[in-house]
Amino acid sequence: METKHFSEADLLETYYMQPSEATPIIEHVNNCNQCQDRYRRLAQKLRDAASCPAEKPATFWARQRLMIMRAVDHARERSRSNVRTARVAAAALLAFMLGGAVVYKSVEPALKAPATVVVKQTTPALPSNDDLQVPRDPWQSDELKDFGAVVQWESWVPESESSRL
Amino acid sequence: MGSVAAFRVTQINASTPTDSELIARTLGGDGGAFALLVDRFQRKIYRVAYAIVRDDVEADTIAQDTFIQAYTHLAKFQGRSEFETWLTRIAINRSRDSLRRRRFVSLFTGDEDDETREGWIEPVDERPDPEREIMAHQLRIAIERAERKLSTQQKVIFRLRHYEDRSLEEIANLLGLRSGTVRAHLFRAIHKIRKELAEWVTAKEEASNGNETL
Repeated sequence: METKHFSEADLLETYYMQPSEATPIIEHVNNCNQCQDRYRRLAQKLRDAASCPAEKPATFWARQRLMIMRAVDHARERSRSNVRTARVAAAALLAFMLGGAVVYKSVEPALKAPATVVVKQTTPALPSNDDLQVPRDPWQSDELKDFGAVVQWESWVPESESSRL
Repeated sequence: MGSVAAFRVTQINASTPTDSELIARTLGGDGGAFALLVDRFQRKIYRVAYAIVRDDVEADTIAQDTFIQAYTHLAKFQGRSEFETWLTRIAINRSRDSLRRRRFVSLFTGDEDDETREGWIEPVDERPDPEREIMAHQLRIAIERAERKLSTQQKVIFRLRHYEDRSLEEIANLLGLRSGTVRAHLFRAIHKIRKELAEWVTAKEEASNGNETL
């Protein structure tokens, strides 16, 4: 009876999928020398192909480390600056709130005083004296009336009218 | 004699602080402690990034970004996982973003989302078996060509499995996925590329072994 061997594709899948010992392919590979040999060679090839191409020199790692630490220093500096800004902002906010509280305390009694009820008067208010005493001629005011004779000559009032006055 | 040995052990312990000690010192403002963490993990992180993006310069940038991001979010690290796992997760996320960006750019430029490396010759050093080395190189190119058919997620999972030799459980842990989901993604990825790879492997095998039956 001819034994059915598995294809390379099946062996490849077996290699990657980590099947348990109970699968038909693994069972066959364990019992068939030919397939076992093929599987071993395939696995070796895949492992060779997967190996890292070249090890980096020490300078590569040193440069990478330097770049990382430089970026980290920048991040740290930025973080410190942010903390400083946040502290200043918090202090300003606190000062504003405290100031507000102090001002509020000082005006609080006035705010809490009972509101005065203004009763509207039904009688119309009399016009004040200021409204009635509009000076017709500024030279007739108390302050300037003594100087009337001095400035009369340059007054714009016509002669006829000034004599009448 | 015993006291000398004890002293040496103490000295070694004192000179090699644990990750959590270094993290605590970094959070306390000790920049040198973080430099030690970088020195400790930079190779592994670079390797993971390189495994996924397959580009030297990009992997270097991702490794740097990973550490900078880790530093700025260090206070959020709660220690539920290993620091190395946490860093690796950041690196994988960054690498995945990079692959997605590359794919997005390729939509407009019309280029392949992964660089073609067929003309790229790796520095081959003096190995005992140069033929095997050349074959590995050719297989690497074939794998990279086959990977172009994969989605970003499939590519990340396949590359972690292939280049980093991570188990499915490890990949699931790193990606924050269920093991079954990772298995399904990997299964689909392998089905997409297995034909091309298997044909290549068979053809080369036949060529190298002459008439030997596979």
